[in-house]
Amino acid sequence: MLSCSLFVNFRFCLEEISSQNQVKASVQRRIRQSIQDEYPGLETVLEDLLPKKSPLIVVKCPNHLTLVVVNNVPLFFCIRDGPYMPTLRLLHQYPNIMKRFQVDRGAIKFVLSGANIMCPGLTSPGGVLDEEVDAERPVAIYAEGKQHALAIGFTKMSAKDIKSINKGIGVDNMHYLNDGLWKVCSLLYSFEMQSGLIGSQ
Amino acid sequence: MAEKLEPAKVLYCGVCSLPAEYCEFGPDFGRCKPWLLENAPDLYPDLLKEANEKAVDNVSDKLQSVGISSGGADGAPSSAQAGGTSKKEEVKRLPGGKLKKKDRQEVIIEKVVRNKRKCITIVKGLELFGIKLSDASKKLGKKFATGASVVKGPTEKEQIDVQGDIIYDIVEFITDTWPDVPERSIFFIEDGKKVQAA
Ligand SMILES: [Zn+2]
Repeated sequence: MLSCSLFVNFRFCLEEISSQNQVKASVQRRIRQSIQDEYPGLETVLEDLLPKKSPLIVVKCPNHLTLVVVNNVPLFFCIRDGPYMPTLRLLHQYPNIMKRFQVDRGAIKFVLSGANIMCPGLTSPGGVLDEEVDAERPVAIYAEGKQHALAIGFTKMSAKDIKSINKGIGVDNMHYLNDGLWKVCSLLYSFEMQSGLIGSQ
Repeated sequence: MAEKLEPAKVLYCGVCSLPAEYCEFGPDFGRCKPWLLENAPDLYPDLLKEANEKAVDNVSDKLQSVGISSGGADGAPSSAQAGGTSKKEEVKRLPGGKLKKKDRQEVIIEKVVRNKRKCITIVKGLELFGIKLSDASKKLGKKFATGASVVKGPTEKEQIDVQGDIIYDIVEFITDTWPDVPERSIFFIEDGKKVQAA
């Protein structure tokens, strides 16, 4: 377990970064808009998640990772100039905002070690493909026998191709349980929850 | 306006931070176990079994107790499992006189109330005395003129669900039918507490 002081330090650290990364209103609007377009299911809660009044913080991290942070909690991320994708913590709260794929149980440990998602893991009896998903789309990765998503992916091929080609990498693994982003989110969520800044979600 | 989306509640492990159902794939499942046992025993039924077995190892083998838990559940399945056709109830012991399982030997009786009036009496632990549950279930159903069935409890362990409140008569019935079950080993669960029936 990380010590409490590390929590605090980390948070200060993020606050520090944040203070330097408030983005212009126009940029903020653009980010909001693209998130809204990508995840229409979030419409009713978007104002709560990304309030127009409070500043949107955009943090550039190594490896071309960009985080959208509100109230010290990362809610969305994007890699290079790809689409914004929810963090897993956020997706767990609103599981229906993304299209879903499911990997079989055997694939879980590979996905959780950061491996990209291979076609056979999606086409085997334990896997499920949403056939409407095209190539280069964000998709939530679920697992056989589990309720919650374990990764956020970005399709390399369409669901139909994954099914017919059934070889190689079908989905790039962008974010998975217990990766760096997950750990950061968990720390911050638990800290914010302790200090009562976020509801007990 | 559309109804506002409600955020789903997710149980995250207090040790490894993953959703509790993923602890088994987490960095150190062993360390999560105590937390899971406390906070999410239904997710990992085997853990409870494991813990029980461990607990029993610490208790002397001699400690024999039968717990009876009677709870009122509503529509419990009443397809009484017709078990074997043995006439006499004999408690079987393994060679060496030891019982097969290391679980603490007790019968727990609990009453569960489901639909206000309806209730079931749950009997756990008879198998620890070498009693065949299907037979016991049949006998209980006959004796109390009700439905009784062997079902899997929350921890995958089998128990007998008997329809109706038979809690006041069941102890005598058990000790009469299976003399190997001492009265002091029979317990009731009352208000979440374990109370000796004797
Ligand atoms: Zn855990």
